[in-house]
Amino acid sequence: MIKVENISKRFQLGTIGSGSLRRDLHGWWERSVLKKKSDFDDAKNGSQFNGKREFWALKDINFEVNEGEALGIIGRNGAGKTTMLKILSRIIKPTKGRIIGRGKVSSLLEIGTGFHPELTGRENIFISGHLLGMTRSEILKKLDEIISFSGIESFLDTPVKRYSSGMYVRLAFSVAAHLEPDILLIDEVLAVGDAEFQKKCLVKMNDTTSNTGRTIIFVSHNLQAVTNLCPRCLWFDEGVIRLEGDSRSVVAKYLSRLQEKVWKQDYNTWEIAPGNEYIRMVSVELIPHLDDPEAPIDIRTPLTIRFRFRNCQPKVNLSVDLLLFTISGECIFDIQSKAVVLNNEIVEGECTIPGNFLNDGSYYFSLYFVKDTSSELYAYNECLMFEVADFRENNNWYDKWWGFVRPNFPLTMKRNSDILLNLKQTELF
Amino acid sequence: MKGYAQDWIIDSRSNFLINIRELFAYKDLLFRLVRKEFLSSYQQTLLGPLWVLFQPILTVLTYVLIFKGVIGLTTEGVPSFPYYLTGITLWNLFSELFLNTASTFSNHIDIFNKVYFPRLIVPLSMVILNLIRFTIQLGLVVVIVVYYHFTANLPVDFFRSLLSLPAVVVVTGIALGSGLIFAVVTTKYKDLNGLLQFIIRLMVFVCPIFYSLSMVPGKLKWLVNLNPLSAQFELFRSSILGTSGIDHGQFLYGFIFMLITLAAGILIFNKMGDKLIDVA
Repeated sequence: MIKVENISKRFQLGTIGSGSLRRDLHGWWERSVLKKKSDFDDAKNGSQFNGKREFWALKDINFEVNEGEALGIIGRNGAGKTTMLKILSRIIKPTKGRIIGRGKVSSLLEIGTGFHPELTGRENIFISGHLLGMTRSEILKKLDEIISFSGIESFLDTPVKRYSSGMYVRLAFSVAAHLEPDILLIDEVLAVGDAEFQKKCLVKMNDTTSNTGRTIIFVSHNLQAVTNLCPRCLWFDEGVIRLEGDSRSVVAKYLSRLQEKVWKQDYNTWEIAPGNEYIRMVSVELIPHLDDPEAPIDIRTPLTIRFRFRNCQPKVNLSVDLLLFTISGECIFDIQSKAVVLNNEIVEGECTIPGNFLNDGSYYFSLYFVKDTSSELYAYNECLMFEVADFRENNNWYDKWWGFVRPNFPLTMKRNSDILLNLKQTELF
Repeated sequence: MKGYAQDWIIDSRSNFLINIRELFAYKDLLFRLVRKEFLSSYQQTLLGPLWVLFQPILTVLTYVLIFKGVIGLTTEGVPSFPYYLTGITLWNLFSELFLNTASTFSNHIDIFNKVYFPRLIVPLSMVILNLIRFTIQLGLVVVIVVYYHFTANLPVDFFRSLLSLPAVVVVTGIALGSGLIFAVVTTKYKDLNGLLQFIIRLMVFVCPIFYSLSMVPGKLKWLVNLNPLSAQFELFRSSILGTSGIDHGQFLYGFIFMLITLAAGILIFNKMGDKLIDVA
């Protein structure tokens, strides 16, 4: 059980950290003995330094975690997530407020803390284990398990400086995975290591929460892992808790905040409108079909692209190509309209991409205007950019899903006994 | 529900005092850090742990060459090799422990920033490590003294030698206490690291390592007496080699000085330790 009450943390950027005794003594002499404002103070009080140069990393944070609960914390870099975890782990002191708790706390803010490169893997297991709060007898009891979990038995008596980075991470994480505190605090430590091993660790952590009633606070940018591991989640934003609630809805709102909300471009005046003597753009618009306007675009969301343009020449046999590219430039598709004979007039075009078609990622559209289905009149490149968020259910794969597209075609398996298992692809794992 | 012992509160206050129970819970870490330092300092070296013995021998040979050979200082009728060796052995304990403790934050900030344990564990591990090294070097002193006992008729008295222990305790305490104070101030003010080096270089001459207090001219005596370590070096040497007597008042001065520095060091270290992580 943890109860966080009114926690605030101030970092003083200028006064404590000025780092030079001479400057501090000089400042003190001028201020206290000569009773005058020093140049240094003037500089500090100027707009650039802003008084005492304070920075509030956390502002009046309150929350509770129950015994055996797994709580996720998400938020952008600099939102205060790590500061909160450091206060909970007693590494730094809060400026205000208090936390009361029950149970032994271990924190994993980094993988391989205290590892000495010159010493052997075996020696480092003990160093790391003790630093994480394990006693000698606890480590001895689990030594075989730790070694076999890491899968580097044959290199155990080699100095870790000769390890590959993968082996290093495996060894370091194996120690951490065998901690048995009542409360485990985990920062973004899963960002390292290969995908297979990451999964093994997440599964191991998932085991511990559901079986032994361990409390976990999990800070991560891997939103998939947060929603899978933690039923409840906090969204930190600029030092305050922006939202608290069940992980799926908090993550959805967080994603929707991250996504660009303006998917419409209007070109009111002729001069700024992209185009040439044949074609002038009037507007382009992306319309996601969302039930909840607060929700992000995810892989299930159907998307409609609507565009208007003016055809400026008489009697043109015109067709339009809608092209979709990934952010790295690969073309996903090129859809061509039927050719229509147009005069000088405004024309609207529309195309709908069904849900469960695109994979998660960033994409952009381009529009090509073609005469007689052969010669290009105008290419409007990168006219709209948008992001598709991930969505998974009943799934233990935390890594990026493969492929440019992610269709939901039925995938079936047959047993020898000719029983048809009508499994969807997403339920295979 | 776990027992009351594991209930905890985190707030903005820092502890002044030592939490003995917490320190004891981390005793495995303490000994592991000692082992880590000892093992890692001799990785990929030619002579390995033998350096613990080579270093004082080489220093003594240099001293014999310079202070006896070139300058011509006398050594109170004792052969110069054991005379310099006793002083250097105690000096090594002080200087190594003082410098190790003073660099607690700069050497361990990566760990301090990522994991919590009572920070005092690190300087305590330095105390144990340096006392182990000192014990090994003391073994060398014993061998040399016994050798000179048989070859040069150096008087040996086991019970008188036990009087060297209080000197070791006071030197260790002063090194730890002042090291803790310097650990805090040099982390806050990086420029004081220069002062640290200066103090160590100065102390070599202000401590009676290659001379005795009786050789100091009267008008300079106050300077050497001001140094709380002086009496300890005299006591250490006289108890082992039977050289000139001990000034009890001076020893008491050193002892009180140790108590004050040790208390101040622990208070400052505990109080400022949490805050230094923000700026280190």
